Amino acid sequence: MSKPNDLVQGTLDLLLLKILALEPMHGWAISLRLKSISGDVLQVSEGSLYPALHKLEQEGWITAEWKQTENNRRAKFYSLTRLGKKQLESEAANWRRLSTAISDIIQLSEA
Amino acid sequence: MRLKHWWFTAPLRLKSILFGRRLERELDEELQFHLEHKIEEGIANGLSPKEARYAAMRAMDGLEQRKEEMRDMRRIHWLTDFLDDARYAIRSLRRTPGLTAFVVITLASGIGMTSGTFSMVDALIFRPYPVPHPSGVVTLVSTTHDSSFEDFSYREYLDIRGKTKSYSGVIANAEMEAVGFSAEPSATPRVKGGMLVSGNYFQVLGVEPRLGRGFREDEDQVPGRDAVVVLGPNFWKHEFASDPGVIGRTIRLNGTEFTVIGVAPETFPGMPIFAHPDLYMPLAMARVFATDRQKNFFEDRDDRELTIRARLNPGTTLQQAQNELTVLAKSLESDYPKVNRGRGTAVHTQFEMRTRADDVNWKFGVIFVILALAVLLVACTNVAGLLLSRARARTREIAIRLAIGAGRFRLIRLLLTESLILSSLGGLAGIAIGYGVVEWFQSKRNVIFNTDLPFSVPFQMDKRVLLASLALSALSALLCGLVPALQSTRTDLVNGLKSADVDVPGRKRLWGRNLLVVAQVSASLMLLTASFLMVRGFQNSLREGTSFAKDHLLMVTFDPRLVQYDPAQTQRFYKLLAERIRVAPRVQTEALTQNVPLGIDDFDGVAFVPDGFQMPRDRENFNSTMDTVDEGYFETMAIPILRGRGFLASDTANSPRVAIVNEQFAKHYWPTADAVGKYIRLDSRTGALVEIVGIAQTIKYQNTFERPMDFVYMPLTQHPVARMTLMLRSSGDPLSLLQSVKDVLRSLDPNLPMLHTMSYEDFYLNQAVKGPRIAMDLVGSMGVVGLLLAIAGLYGLVAYNVSRRTREIGIRIALGALSSDVLRLVMGKGLVLVGMGTMLGLVMGFGVERLMNSMLFNAGGVDILAYIIVVPSLLLVTMLAAYVPARRASRIAPTQALRYE
Repeated sequence: MSKPNDLVQGTLDLLLLKILALEPMHGWAISLRLKSISGDVLQVSEGSLYPALHKLEQEGWITAEWKQTENNRRAKFYSLTRLGKKQLESEAANWRRLSTAISDIIQLSEA
Repeated sequence: MRLKHWWFTAPLRLKSILFGRRLERELDEELQFHLEHKIEEGIANGLSPKEARYAAMRAMDGLEQRKEEMRDMRRIHWLTDFLDDARYAIRSLRRTPGLTAFVVITLASGIGMTSGTFSMVDALIFRPYPVPHPSGVVTLVSTTHDSSFEDFSYREYLDIRGKTKSYSGVIANAEMEAVGFSAEPSATPRVKGGMLVSGNYFQVLGVEPRLGRGFREDEDQVPGRDAVVVLGPNFWKHEFASDPGVIGRTIRLNGTEFTVIGVAPETFPGMPIFAHPDLYMPLAMARVFATDRQKNFFEDRDDRELTIRARLNPGTTLQQAQNELTVLAKSLESDYPKVNRGRGTAVHTQFEMRTRADDVNWKFGVIFVILALAVLLVACTNVAGLLLSRARARTREIAIRLAIGAGRFRLIRLLLTESLILSSLGGLAGIAIGYGVVEWFQSKRNVIFNTDLPFSVPFQMDKRVLLASLALSALSALLCGLVPALQSTRTDLVNGLKSADVDVPGRKRLWGRNLLVVAQVSASLMLLTASFLMVRGFQNSLREGTSFAKDHLLMVTFDPRLVQYDPAQTQRFYKLLAERIRVAPRVQTEALTQNVPLGIDDFDGVAFVPDGFQMPRDRENFNSTMDTVDEGYFETMAIPILRGRGFLASDTANSPRVAIVNEQFAKHYWPTADAVGKYIRLDSRTGALVEIVGIAQTIKYQNTFERPMDFVYMPLTQHPVARMTLMLRSSGDPLSLLQSVKDVLRSLDPNLPMLHTMSYEDFYLNQAVKGPRIAMDLVGSMGVVGLLLAIAGLYGLVAYNVSRRTREIGIRIALGALSSDVLRLVMGKGLVLVGMGTMLGLVMGFGVERLMNSMLFNAGGVDILAYIIVVPSLLLVTMLAAYVPARRASRIAPTQALRYE
């Protein structure tokens, strides 16, 4: 199964960190949020979401806590750690650098 | 995982190991939560519940794969793999309990011997001084032509202390001496160990008193003024029941009142390795204690009784300190040519002192470590051999593992884990054996130190020794596990799968086992040679005899300084003692001597110039050991006077001075002439003239294995000494004379303590036989353990090698070989290996023998008998080991052998 808009390598981490920087939430909510903010342009396979979250947790960038949801169910809520905040900053800066460079190149070829 | 925040991720990894099951449950729950939402969403979009469920599952791209991906993420592979390996190894070891037990016992004896030995070497050589920053403490020594490790006089100490800049402090102490202690004025003094130290002793060493205070500088300046004392920790505990009220109390030392000002801490048992002083007194109080009465401690520059230590300034190198001392020694030499000619000063680290000044400890230590490592080596090769045969029997298992994709490295790790577990068990048991060895040493304290003074055996299983033992266990795991692991994982898969136990033709894979045989034979040969040599050398020295009588002798030591006699009183006391005891019932003869032969204390030295001798330019005099005796000595000890005469009652303080020398001395200085009637001058060319009136037979003076040495006897009347030992020859049991001695003593001075009261024969046995026997026992047991291990290992290896060739032998016999051919074939191989091992062992044995001969014994040359006994017995064992299975193999019917597998 090919995905039309595969995420650029490593950007999923950045997206997840950014989303969690806004507020702590559980996996399902994250997947909904991903879809809504990117308007279906970025399709994240739900299968790869949880391994990615786990990786971030093992790196110590996010931490998880079991809490009750609004409709009183137990769910695992993820939130950003101090280390994660730093990571987000550096990855965001990286991304900005990269995308600027790429768009510069694209404009160059048009000119 | 990035290393930089390991402190953050490590707890997470730990959590995943410890709470694996809980995390697994949470993983399920989290995914389930997601799925349920997804299904609800699907239903809301109009799918049937079943369809919604499928859709949800599809969206996950395979639930189980995802789970596995996540599990991988939080695992630490090497650790979980190790735990798996360990579990597997324990299971497979439990299947062969006999083999496991044998391996553990073998390793335990190797590691135990080594850790016991290391506890000894550590205490003697490596353990740092019990003070803060011990590495900064150096020792200063005075050097002459004859000796590189001499003490200093009080005046020299003051010079060094005042004129050096390399140190933050320079301290001095005299040797620990017997002190007469009484807590109450009325109590009879008891003997304790006291040490004179400089006023800055505790402060420079950085030792904080546990109670009270240390000495003040000004308490060590005016001779005789400040009678203060610091108690040793053990003394305080046993004598004063750890009473804190002891500070400020008055006690009597050698009859003088001293005020207790402090108690040294438990952590500071004393600077010497063995001696743990009960009492510390300032140097300024030296007159109260046992210093040389012939000299003035505070004034005479040649009254050298002080050990000097110093703390190096931070940043000052040993070389800088040495340069400074060299300059100082030169100036002392020119200022005081009479007493300092040819005398230098050197500075040494603790390690240098312990390996050079106390070089007997060092040499013994080196020998013991070599021997212990040899035992360990034999044990390891033994285990390696066993593991190898075990691994061979598992060829098929290993082949299957390799075939289904296990990496070779991974398999080696599995096999090494197995040997690590074995060696850990062996290490634990070995540490228990080490404890046993240390305990055994401790139990011999009274044999090792034949004295009432506070000496103790310093060997202990402390943290350092435990650590070393654990390291040894790990090392032996590697040693005995690596070769088998490497070899058995190099299996040829096709053949390995076909049969349970194959040997691929070719020489390459045999080197491991052959090496083991050679190593084992050579190591055990070296061990046996060494222990044989030691035991034989010891027996030789005993058989050679001591050339004097030991039986029917009672010895009692007196030290009138303990009750404040002056030299005249002391002389009178000994005169009366000798006169009165001589006429007591059952006393045959009487003698007084400064030191008993083979005693604890070193003999004094005497500096002299043979009269009329042209001395070499650079030296002032010669040195010899000496003893002070009375006229009854030679008869009582049955030491023959070969020429001339013994001492007589007519040799008095006012008659011309006389001396008796031993034969060695006479031959040394007058090789062609008769020494009787010749003269020596004491100290220098212009010193007092002493006539040699007799030549005594050379005996053993300091220990039973010494080389013949120069010796001079002086008469007590002309060379007064405070501390003397009375020797009485009795017609019956020597101890029965004790009452007579007590009676005489009561009539002279009831307050004078009797020291070291025992029969000389007992003393001699303790000193010359039982003491060395401790070393013999240790070395002997190493030899025996080594031999037993080597025999078991050799037998196992050779027998195993042969039994593996059963099929080949069957074929040979089927083709017409005779059983004698088979025997020759099998045993030939074993003999070649043993021959190689023997050659190597002989070389190592010669090495150790030379080492031991040069350091400890005068056995001289090669001890042929050791080799004549040891080599053939090892050959015999190997032949037997090869013969038994070879015979069995040669008797097997070919049909059976071929069907063997």
